[in-house]
Amino acid sequence: MENNQVKERGMKILFLIAACASILAVVLICLFLFANGLPAIFEIGPGKFLLGTKWDPTNNVYGILPMIVGSLYVTAGAIIVGVPIGVLTAVFMAEFCPPKLYKIMKPAVELLAGIPSIVYGFFGLVALVPIIRNLFGGSGKGILTASILLGIMILPTIISISESALRAVPRSYYEGAVGLGATKERAVFFTMVPAAKSGIFAGIVLGIGRAIGETMAVIMVAGNTAVMPTSILSMVRTMTANIVLEMGYATDLHREALIATGVVLFIFILIINLCFALIKKKEA
Amino acid sequence: MKQLRIFAILLLVTVLVTGCGYSGDMIDVVSREDGSGTRGAFSEIFKITQKQDDGTVLDSTYDNAEVTNSTAVVMLTVSEDKNAIGYISMGSLNDSVKAVDINGVAPTAENVKNGTYEVSRPFLIAVRDRENAVVEDFISYILSSDGQQVVEALGYVSSEDGSEARYTGYVKSGRITVAGSSSVTPVMEALKEAYIKRNPGVEIEIQQSDSTTGLTTVAEGISDIGMSSRELKTSETDKGIIPITIAYDGLAIIVNPENPVDNLTKEQVYDIFTGKITGWNEISTDTTE
Repeated sequence: MENNQVKERGMKILFLIAACASILAVVLICLFLFANGLPAIFEIGPGKFLLGTKWDPTNNVYGILPMIVGSLYVTAGAIIVGVPIGVLTAVFMAEFCPPKLYKIMKPAVELLAGIPSIVYGFFGLVALVPIIRNLFGGSGKGILTASILLGIMILPTIISISESALRAVPRSYYEGAVGLGATKERAVFFTMVPAAKSGIFAGIVLGIGRAIGETMAVIMVAGNTAVMPTSILSMVRTMTANIVLEMGYATDLHREALIATGVVLFIFILIINLCFALIKKKEA
Repeated sequence: MKQLRIFAILLLVTVLVTGCGYSGDMIDVVSREDGSGTRGAFSEIFKITQKQDDGTVLDSTYDNAEVTNSTAVVMLTVSEDKNAIGYISMGSLNDSVKAVDINGVAPTAENVKNGTYEVSRPFLIAVRDRENAVVEDFISYILSSDGQQVVEALGYVSSEDGSEARYTGYVKSGRITVAGSSSVTPVMEALKEAYIKRNPGVEIEIQQSDSTTGLTTVAEGISDIGMSSRELKTSETDKGIIPITIAYDGLAIIVNPENPVDNLTKEQVYDIFTGKITGWNEISTDTTE
């Protein structure tokens, strides 16, 4: 009896420590980011930093608006490319897929999620870039290429979460619709999909999170010029690319400005996660 | 939702169509990231970065130049895009790209050595004091004819500080740390391999970072030898660091093998990389005077 109680308490503490470790990591990262980044933002001036269109570290001019815009454009492009394909794939896999094909598709989607991002980048560089260059001219690197590549990269997230959301919808919804005379397609698209709406949105939001935070793949296909993009074929530099490209050399204010870029990125991710939490709450 | 999606697709198509105003022979300029030793050397040689009177540095690199953070990506981009131009270390050249002549001089190790090919930079090592016997012996190896042969075998140009004499030293054991430029690292790795074959008891640790970091660690006594792909700044020599040139690296200006241009003047390279020349049609292929 006594022995069991000791064990019980011991395990409780162990679990508590495990839980604290991840919270501690988040807190430390927040502290590090804000402690190093915020002073730089105020030294440069929040307006100049967030709305400045010129990034010229050699002369201590740090405006990250082109990078913010770049991240937003590329992410928006990824949504346009990835969401329709992802959601439709999920609907297919949950409702229409023959079991034999499903046995191939499910592992294929999972494999897509496991491919390292640098491999995606290399694929983009040797496969996508020449196609875009031949179709539209220019260098082939830019918003469009990065959007397509990111669209592919966020597919697994969207597909697997949407699929499980669809599968979680009670079967009676489908049966009811069919019983009322709806065709299979109608039953799926007008009862199942709306019923799984919040789960599907959660998948999309997580996909957005992945797209905005992606770095290595984007660096290889986006062209990375720190100027405001003027067309969908313009080269862009995302916030993540900005940090990676220059961190190795940066000193003093330049380094802090890069960390401050990380702060802005962190706030974006925070907003995305907040959206995710809100959707989840609505669902519950 | 449905309408919104259709609208989004329509928008995408319109932007695509209007965005296609590129002509066929626009030059795609490929540059390196700010702070890279290769970019620094390139910009300085072609005077793309210039010190202003008020102490600021004016970098006139073309705003629409692509920025990449590795030699491999520069080469792959140029090898696939027939309108691209970029620059890489001569030691990395291969057949997938074409190196153009500058002012009529071919980028060869020989021309770098005799000074006619001007686009080159020194590879330096830096030490703080010359008291450590192992460091001293390693440097004597690097500058001996054996060491300089290793340098040349890699496609770099031997240093004028190098001697004709062969390496005769021997150290029984010891441990040194070398840190700095990622451009110099491949040369240092090869030199280390060859040196350790002669002195099996010595351990050499190479830490790859960048020139500035390497020199700082030497000044602070954290590492024994620093590697730099640029000349030392006065603020660095003031800290008592002594630079030694171990090799020269030519920078090759590379274009696609299909590109008919074989020769560019220094002015043309400047104009291309600052965006004054934006089309290949502005460069006559017959520039041999």
